[in-house]
Amino acid sequence: MLKIITKEDLHKILISLLSGFEIIGPRELSHKGIFYEPITDMKSLYWGEGFATEPVKKFFLSPSEYLFKGRYDNGKEVLDDLPLTRNKRIIIGVRPCEAIGLTLLDKVFNADEYKDEFYLNNRERTILVGLSCLKPDKSCFCTSLGGSPESNRGLDVLIFLGGNEFIIEIITETAKEILKNSGRDLSQAETKAWELDRKRRKESLNYRIEVPESLDKIFESEYWEDVSRSCISCGVCTFLCPTCHCFDLVDEKRKKLRCYDGCAFCDFTLEASGVNPRLAKKERYRQRVFHKFDYFKKNFKENLCVGCGRCIRFCPVKINIAEVVDKAPLVKS
Amino acid sequence: MSQNIYLPNLAQIIEIKDETPDIKTFKLKFKDQAIAESFDYKPGQFVEFSVFGEGEAPFCISNSPTRKSSLVSGAGIECSVKRMGKVSQALHELNIGDTVGIRGPYGNGFPIDDLKNKHLLFVAGGIGLAPLRSLINYCLDNRDNFKDITIVNGARTSKDLVYQSEYEAWKGAKNTQLHLTVDCNEENWTCMVGVVPKILEQLKPTCQDSVALVCGPPIMIKYTLPVLLKLGFCPEAIITTLEMKMKCGLGKCGRCNIGNLYICKDGPVFSYSQLENLNYEL
Repeated sequence: MLKIITKEDLHKILISLLSGFEIIGPRELSHKGIFYEPITDMKSLYWGEGFATEPVKKFFLSPSEYLFKGRYDNGKEVLDDLPLTRNKRIIIGVRPCEAIGLTLLDKVFNADEYKDEFYLNNRERTILVGLSCLKPDKSCFCTSLGGSPESNRGLDVLIFLGGNEFIIEIITETAKEILKNSGRDLSQAETKAWELDRKRRKESLNYRIEVPESLDKIFESEYWEDVSRSCISCGVCTFLCPTCHCFDLVDEKRKKLRCYDGCAFCDFTLEASGVNPRLAKKERYRQRVFHKFDYFKKNFKENLCVGCGRCIRFCPVKINIAEVVDKAPLVKS
Repeated sequence: MSQNIYLPNLAQIIEIKDETPDIKTFKLKFKDQAIAESFDYKPGQFVEFSVFGEGEAPFCISNSPTRKSSLVSGAGIECSVKRMGKVSQALHELNIGDTVGIRGPYGNGFPIDDLKNKHLLFVAGGIGLAPLRSLINYCLDNRDNFKDITIVNGARTSKDLVYQSEYEAWKGAKNTQLHLTVDCNEENWTCMVGVVPKILEQLKPTCQDSVALVCGPPIMIKYTLPVLLKLGFCPEAIITTLEMKMKCGLGKCGRCNIGNLYICKDGPVFSYSQLENLNYEL
């Protein structure tokens, strides 16, 4: 369902929704960049073409969160499950690639055998309002991975900016219910213009890479040594990735925390015996590329990368995963 | 809504046995009687063991599910722990009556149905006997389902042999042989001398209708597999268990993968034919 709505009216709707929802959206913080934050003053919403530094992942998998707490009750030890926050939220301005990232995380945290209630609760209580891209960054490569600047996968609503009037594509029933009395329908000419605009957005990204079906045959290649040489194992690629989800479980007194962790860190697989199967940078970087473009695909039929370009933009030593994958020396059969 | 998959059950240490200078076996009983009664597992599965405030680490359940009820005051499980890292050191400091957390059981366990009506060759090194002990006793308790049982158990020295109190029962069981070996000769040692792969070469166990179950340090597994292949065991008939750093035990935290498989969820028990086709670092 398509609607046209003015920016002012959209802001008004969001303000009226504040009574029932927490609203989270992109804000431009001077000297820092664009960050998703809770918003009460809709004027502070950032509607530009820039991309947030951190993905919305942090609202679903927190960088660190408590999983349970232990305590003593009259000398008897008890463990308390933590109550889940049920508050509803709307995250607005989500880029299409990040929404796809969440659908990939669903495959891990909503797996048949073990469902992660913290993640699932965060998913269930959130409405995702996407913002389609018009000017992809030079590090963007979503179209090589099945995404698109105007993809609506995983979103409840997708906004197309155009001057002071926004066209909104309303995708899910939840969103239809909330927006049923808002905006107006499109005229035929407007629908035509929107279709053209959508096509233009889809074609706005020219950079394409070749993603191999499997990397099996080049596991032992010296290529991994070459491409990981400059890596300083800082892990920023994993923290800022919308699909990286590796974590550590940490004890803090009688509480258990889940914290972000990543394959880039040298102690990620260090065993108590001192053995470390991924001691060298090449082994760790290879693990990152294989997890995303080989292992995950074997398990879930998709790449664990959405081509958002964050790991490229923020890598302090300019490692470019798109190039690494594109130039992988595949053994042609 | 699903349950908190990270929340352990509280268990109490009801017995601690010193197996070797650096290995202790802990007998545990769940505090919640309903959990104590419903907790079920297969030989080869493991639990995540928490020492609150110190950390959590995976340990295999070393007693057979057929022998849960033989424990004092109801069903319980046993874990043997070698003093090694942060959690295992903290565990070694604990006393009878102390409370720990247990999550699980996790992992696939041994493919028991595939072992029925086969000769079984157990090959253990050091604490690698722990998961095999669970299976050995399971097989002895269901003796008619399996053919001859041969156990080859090695350790660095005689002091490092675990579960010594059970050797007599194993030797005395029907159609069961136990071969003990230590790496170097010692005074008063009457069993075999030499590392496990060498002993296998000497013993030449039959590969006909046989399945080999290998568990030990990576170096032992590495040198044992070629010997078994040379003896005629096909890759499908060689079963081993793998270890890596683990945290969640649920196939989510991303550490313990070998190729696209997670040791915690898809293992820890693998056949050699599975491993042959995977790319991995170990």
